[in-house]
Amino acid sequence: METNKTQNRRKFIQNGVRLSLLLSLGTVSAAALRRVTADDYVWQIDPFECTQCGRCATECVKKPSAVKCVHAYALCGYCDLCGGYLKPGAIARDTGAENQLCPTAAIERRFIEEPYFEYIINEDLCIGCAKCVKGCTSFGNGSLHLQIIHDICDNCNECAIARVCPSNAIKRVKASEAYMVKGDFKKPKA
Amino acid sequence: MKNKGIVIFLIVLAVVIVAIIAGDYLSDKPDKTGPNPFEYNVDNFKTVDSTLIHYKETKNYRITFEKPVAITVSDENIYLAGDNKIQVIGLDGSLLQEIALTGKPQAVEVFGNEIFVAISNAINVYNKTGNLLKTWPALTDSALVTSVAASATSVFVADAGNRKVHRYNHAGQLLASFDGKAAEGELHGFIIPSPYFDLDINPDGDLWVVNPGLHALENYTEEGNLREHWNNTSMLLEGFSGCCNPAHFCFLPDGRFLTSEKGLVRIKIHKPSGEFDCVVAAPAKFKAEGEAPDIAVDEAGNVYALDFDKKMIRVFEKKQLVQSN
Repeated sequence: METNKTQNRRKFIQNGVRLSLLLSLGTVSAAALRRVTADDYVWQIDPFECTQCGRCATECVKKPSAVKCVHAYALCGYCDLCGGYLKPGAIARDTGAENQLCPTAAIERRFIEEPYFEYIINEDLCIGCAKCVKGCTSFGNGSLHLQIIHDICDNCNECAIARVCPSNAIKRVKASEAYMVKGDFKKPKA
Repeated sequence: MKNKGIVIFLIVLAVVIVAIIAGDYLSDKPDKTGPNPFEYNVDNFKTVDSTLIHYKETKNYRITFEKPVAITVSDENIYLAGDNKIQVIGLDGSLLQEIALTGKPQAVEVFGNEIFVAISNAINVYNKTGNLLKTWPALTDSALVTSVAASATSVFVADAGNRKVHRYNHAGQLLASFDGKAAEGELHGFIIPSPYFDLDINPDGDLWVVNPGLHALENYTEEGNLREHWNNTSMLLEGFSGCCNPAHFCFLPDGRFLTSEKGLVRIKIHKPSGEFDCVVAAPAKFKAEGEAPDIAVDEAGNVYALDFDKKMIRVFEKKQLVQSN
């Protein structure tokens, strides 16, 4: 009788330990699964809200900024007189440094065929100052626009640019839909 | 004594911390930050010297269309196309007639007693009582009709999809098409990066077609041979910039060009030679980065602008006339 009691107590403790281990394993697995499947949030610029103030270049904690110009080629007019590439008072429509609007010469102008020119952004040189975006939006089709590049962005808890953005264009978006590229992303109806 | 010193020190520390937090918070406000070395100010291009603005907005009429498309003025009436109908509006803004259409209109033109409406890339001819007289065969799938202009003998249709101008007779028979190209290397042809391709016939009966990619206005014979042209590519007020300007144009009764631009939205007048004349409406009149208004002119030279963003017809009259009245 005494032996049975001892065995029952031992069995009870063994079962308890097994159950605890099982529960711990389940909790860890669930947590891991949730981490894999759950959609995180990242910062992104709504190109239709952006006013091209230039603060993305100066306020980002990354130097140079994690904000870069991207080009929606489908919207581009491939203009010779490109408002995003050339200074307003440019003495010639060519690649001369004195004619370029970009302070870091991050836009490459490539002749396609008369009278079309292609404009390619060099991401390594771009500092996200939005001068080209302003020029393209004011004089052209608005195919150049800013985006936060997520392999550069630290995804700070409080985005330093969002704090000073005058048009509240920087928003939290789902990581699965991390970019708001013009053409794919259309202006929401008012 | 010792405790009192600690208390004073803690109070000073707390004040300093609060001051730092408040200063940091206020300094990060968008309107509190210092000058931005990268700011690109294009306000100079939006500002127009008031002496160059020869017109004044005197009236505007709110329109009921969900999607207005085009405007033309004929016989002292405004013909407004949009949704699935055409509204005939008096110059005083009163609605005179509504004509139901078989589909969404793309362009409208009135000549004599006929109203030409492009629907699904086919020209539908209505009489002024609103009866459909005839539907001409539709253009090919890649066609995109953006403008129609009629003379006594021909109807010209601007096809932005195929970058061509088609010429029909009034019976709807396709007589010819041309793409603006001349001999090799002499003339490029119509460059239309986005669907803005307008044409019109001046008071002398000459066909003019805008070549938006070249910022040019080109005069063609009925057979499609280039007779003359002018262009002015510039970011300044005197010229056209962007990929497709002027987006719309028509003629004043004296033969001057009335142009409407996108990008920097504005309406200007150019002399028959192409030289800049004056401004009708400066960019400040329109929504920033808005759509270029379609434009029309009445016999008195008043300008009617179809403002797509504000959904209204805006009437501009010459300043001298307004002041003398």
